[in-house]
Amino acid sequence: MDALIVIFITGLVGLFVGMMKKPVLTLSITITGLVTAFILTLYARSYESIFSKYNGLSTSPLTDAFSLLVIGLTILIVLGGFNYFKKDKEHTSDYYGLMLFSLCGALIMIAFNNFFMFFLGLEIMSIPIYVLVGIKKSNVLSSEASIKYFFTGSFATGVLLFGIALVYGATGTFDLLTINSMRGIAEPSPMFHIGVLFILAAFLFKVGSVPFHFWSPDVYQGSPDAIMSYMSTVVKVSALCAFVTLFSNVFMDSKHVYLIILEVFIAISFIFGYVSALKQSNLKRMLAYSGISNTGLAMLTILNGDFGSLWFFLLSYTAATICIMTLSQAMDKIDSEDISNWKGIGYKNPIIGVVIIISFLSLSGIPPLTGFFGKFLILSNSFQNHLWLVIIGLISSVIGAFLYLRFIVLSMAKDSNAEKICLSPLHFVIIGLSTIVLLFGWSILLF
Amino acid sequence: MALLVLPIVLALLSFLIPQKLVRYFGLAGALSSLVVALGHLSYFNPERYVSIFDPNKLFPLGLSFKMGYDGLSLTMVLLVNAIVTIILLANFAKELAENKTFTALVFLMQFGLLGVFLAQDGLLFYGFWEITLIPIFFILYWFGQQNNNSVLLKFFIYTLLGSLGMLLSFIVLGTNVQSFAYNDLAVAGSFMASKMACWVACGFLLAFAIKIPLFPFHTWQPNTYTTAPMAGTMLLSALMLKMALFGMIKWMIPITYNGFSEIKWLIITLGSIGIVYGAIIAIKQKDIKTLFAYASISHVGLIAAGIVLFTQTSLESAVIQIINHSIVAVGLFFAADIIESRTGTRNIYELGGIAKLAPRFAFWFALMTFVSVSVPFTAGFIGEFLLIKELFMAHWVTGLFASTTLVFGAVYMLRAYQVSMFGTPKMTSFEDLKWNEILVFASLTVAAILIGISPACIMNFVKPSIEHINELMVGSLNFIK
Repeated sequence: MDALIVIFITGLVGLFVGMMKKPVLTLSITITGLVTAFILTLYARSYESIFSKYNGLSTSPLTDAFSLLVIGLTILIVLGGFNYFKKDKEHTSDYYGLMLFSLCGALIMIAFNNFFMFFLGLEIMSIPIYVLVGIKKSNVLSSEASIKYFFTGSFATGVLLFGIALVYGATGTFDLLTINSMRGIAEPSPMFHIGVLFILAAFLFKVGSVPFHFWSPDVYQGSPDAIMSYMSTVVKVSALCAFVTLFSNVFMDSKHVYLIILEVFIAISFIFGYVSALKQSNLKRMLAYSGISNTGLAMLTILNGDFGSLWFFLLSYTAATICIMTLSQAMDKIDSEDISNWKGIGYKNPIIGVVIIISFLSLSGIPPLTGFFGKFLILSNSFQNHLWLVIIGLISSVIGAFLYLRFIVLSMAKDSNAEKICLSPLHFVIIGLSTIVLLFGWSILLF
Repeated sequence: MALLVLPIVLALLSFLIPQKLVRYFGLAGALSSLVVALGHLSYFNPERYVSIFDPNKLFPLGLSFKMGYDGLSLTMVLLVNAIVTIILLANFAKELAENKTFTALVFLMQFGLLGVFLAQDGLLFYGFWEITLIPIFFILYWFGQQNNNSVLLKFFIYTLLGSLGMLLSFIVLGTNVQSFAYNDLAVAGSFMASKMACWVACGFLLAFAIKIPLFPFHTWQPNTYTTAPMAGTMLLSALMLKMALFGMIKWMIPITYNGFSEIKWLIITLGSIGIVYGAIIAIKQKDIKTLFAYASISHVGLIAAGIVLFTQTSLESAVIQIINHSIVAVGLFFAADIIESRTGTRNIYELGGIAKLAPRFAFWFALMTFVSVSVPFTAGFIGEFLLIKELFMAHWVTGLFASTTLVFGAVYMLRAYQVSMFGTPKMTSFEDLKWNEILVFASLTVAAILIGISPACIMNFVKPSIEHINELMVGSLNFIK
């Protein structure tokens, strides 16, 4: 709660300071605010907050862990995007302000307590992103992405609201705890089930899973690198967290209705994402499609309410995504979106090569990298009830490994014409941090 | 612990060594790791299990991090360290030996292999198993033939698919007892219904059959061997496929014994088919490297079929045959590489008369050929003889199939030797062996002959650990009764 307020105020202050058109100042204010929020969340359990009695949000060590993840990711993205943002002096503070407001929404999505806050969080998170996606006004792809995301997103919001209204009609309350306490007492009305299905549809859209995934490749491709990494990490983390909160707990009563739907969509996501990614020649589209499969894997945790594995898997997935996207931003001389331009980059620049190897191997789930343990946790926790999904997941991860390995092979080719890239200190720090997470993140599990 | 940590330290160090010294560093490093392993051997009692790392508690996920060795594991560890030394020695005069990345990757590979043989924890075993894939992939990719991407991707994806089957089996076993420690997994396996245990065994089999490779899963192997650099082929054939054979002895069969008997004859059949199939295809090969690759399929088919019988004798002779196969693989692929690098071709019909130009090479190559066709007083003779005997005792048909390996082996090996070494010389000059090459051949031959003369020393060495595995299994059968 304190972190939320700090971030909001930082965003406001940043916007005003932005009038001075000093990018470095805006950056330092933003980072200060974010780091303060990070520390506040880290020690949230050890001091008495003045806002602790707020009814809309309920925090627990679990929500703190997710909040830490999204704030940490935002810090990395803010730092990594700086070289790009500062070129556009007029709008540097807009980027940062919007990103911070969106982060507020994400934090609410993680800790919400009733449907009202949930809807508020979702909208606060989404609306700044509609703007951020279209911020390159003169770029056709960017405008297309923004419009596309806005229209489909608003439609999803409408569906979500309709679903919430139906659930409200069936239970007479917005409060999750009250709905929880009604569970199992009486058979809920069909209205409840229909409402849950509507909410499910909206969620599938937000996390970008089959069958509502069509926006994600286009939107990812159109948006700037930093915004794309924000969408594929922070937004995904918070949406998945809310997804699990609602469906593994509150909506248990209609599990028999949505279970089979969810299982089928997860299974299709597994295969569809990687298979479509095989044909992509654009890095962002490839990541978007493979992200569909990774989302499918994360959605397995919904079936047994497994927050711990979800967190750990998302940690590995987001760290790898940040690594790759930061590398892509570091390659400013060549068009990093075209995959064929990565040929030989890793061989020519050994450090970048090692980072590429580590992040893609982690994504494909090769031990002892963190990505393996993320996948392992999810699969081993759900194999008892959903053996077939686990087997499909394993098979799909072979396709994924092929996809990622092909990229490694391409970037590691002996090619003397490849560009020599010097990493700026900022990028170096970000890549270093996320590589450490990928290499040694699994040691968290030992404590 | 130094045993395991040393290679990874060496791998990191090799980036810091000046370019000129890398080849000496590589050889010295490999030798030092061999010395460490011999040190472990010097105060080892075959009756005992030696723990080298045991935090004595169960971490979340069921990880126990136990590592240690018994006679069987120590044999494999010694094999790894000795073969890595020999590989670096064989590579010594090549340009490749000066490459820092290459040396580092070989040591990383050694680290992974040692981990596989030392792990006493299922998840650890799986982890090391996968770690070995990465260095070998890059050795093949950077230092192998150019434009071999599709072959490499096939190799990687194929083996990864197999190991995911193993992962699933470990998950099924481990979540039952909330622990991945070897003994706990054995208990979990013994409580498992036979149908479930059969599926678990199939998961393991997928991983091991692809790595060995057994007959229908072998399609990745000849191409990969052929396009790989010499060191890569040696690592793959001499060490990497031994992980799978070791995995069958130590992990798959004892743990899943309840259900294993249902697929026992499947594996024996596949192994027997592999013996004949590999040999027949080898007879028709022109490319000497492909020939040896198919010969390797034939040899390991016999070992796999022998292991599956799971009698005391068959396991002991399988271990001898494992060592013998490593010796033969390194020796033959080394000879193939010498021929290729000096004449520029691997086609045996373009060769001929090398014996006149390079008598020393002809002599040592002939010795390796004899070791490979397992003439008496070489390691192969004892190993194959005992394995065939055991297969005959299981069923005379399999014994018959298995014994064809002796005939076919002589046919393809002697033909390859004859066509390439004798006749009129088809090239003007052939540089004879250098000192390091003679050293490689000599050490391999001496090892093969020593084991051939006194196989009992190895058999006695591994006997207690095999008895222990058998006890574990009998114990698990008693559980059910």
